[in-house]
Amino acid sequence: MANVRGGYLVVEGCFHCRQRTSFFSEEPVPPIDDYREGDHFWTHLGDFQASKFDLKCETCGRDVALKDVMAVMLCLRCDPTCGAYKAGSDAGESKTWVYVALCSDTSHVAGTCVSDEGLRALNEYYNEGLRDPAKKIIVVPCRLRRSVDTCQGVVLADVGLTELY
Amino acid sequence: MKVSELAQKAGLKAFNPIPDKEIQGVYISDMVSDIIGIREGNLLITLQTHKNLIAAANLVDVAAIVFSRAKSPAEDVVALATKAGIGLLGYEGDTWTLAKKLVELGIK
Repeated sequence: MANVRGGYLVVEGCFHCRQRTSFFSEEPVPPIDDYREGDHFWTHLGDFQASKFDLKCETCGRDVALKDVMAVMLCLRCDPTCGAYKAGSDAGESKTWVYVALCSDTSHVAGTCVSDEGLRALNEYYNEGLRDPAKKIIVVPCRLRRSVDTCQGVVLADVGLTELY
Repeated sequence: MKVSELAQKAGLKAFNPIPDKEIQGVYISDMVSDIIGIREGNLLITLQTHKNLIAAANLVDVAAIVFSRAKSPAEDVVALATKAGIGLLGYEGDTWTLAKKLVELGIK
C-alpha cells in the first residue's frame, strides 16, 4: 500500500437525470455546494470520511495508481441476479468474500469503471497475506452491480464521525 | 500468543465463538477507513461496534476484535463476524488501560 491519504468520499446526485456520481476530496472540509455541469444539476447527497491509496509491488517496485477507486464495499449477497452475487457463487467456496470496488461514475452512464489493472492489484494485495488457505477475497468492479439503489452492501467508509448533532 | 490465551489472561468477554488465531500485532483505531490498510493477524481494538467495521476487519484478516469500554455489538454484527470467522471480545475498561495490559502480557 502506498500514497495513503485521508479525505472524504463525496456523493452527489442530479435531480434531473437521477444519476449519481462520487469523488474523493482531500479538502479539510468536503464541498457541499450544488452546481450545474452541462445538463446536470449536481446536489450533495452525503460525504463520509475515507482513505484513498495506491498499491506498490514489493518485488518490482511498480506503482498501480487506484485513481478510479473511490471506495470498497462488502457484498452482502442480497440479490442472486446481481453480478457481484454471481462472482461469489462462481467461486463455490464458503469462505469466499466478494468486495466491490466503487468507481466515480456510480450510474455508469459514461461506461467507465475501475481499471482491470487496479482490480488485479487489489485482488493480489488482499489475498496475499490471508492466513486461512480456504479463505478468498474477490474484488469486482461496481459495474457488475445490478442496481445502486437496491444494493445492500457495506461501504468501508466512516459515516457520521465529523458531524455534530 | 493465541486469542484464547489473551482472553483468559486479560479477562475479555467473548460475544461469539472465538477462532483461536495467533496474535501477530495490535492495532487501535475507530475509523473503518483507517483499518483497511493494516496487515493480517492484528488484534483490533476499537470503540466502534457497527457492521462496517466487520467488513473492514474481514478484508484485512484480523486475529480478533476487542471492543473496549464495555461496548456490545448488535446481533447482526455478531452474526456477520461469526460467519467471517472473526472473534469478538469485550473489555470493561478503556482502551489505554487495555493497551497497557497487552504490553504487560508481552504482546507488542
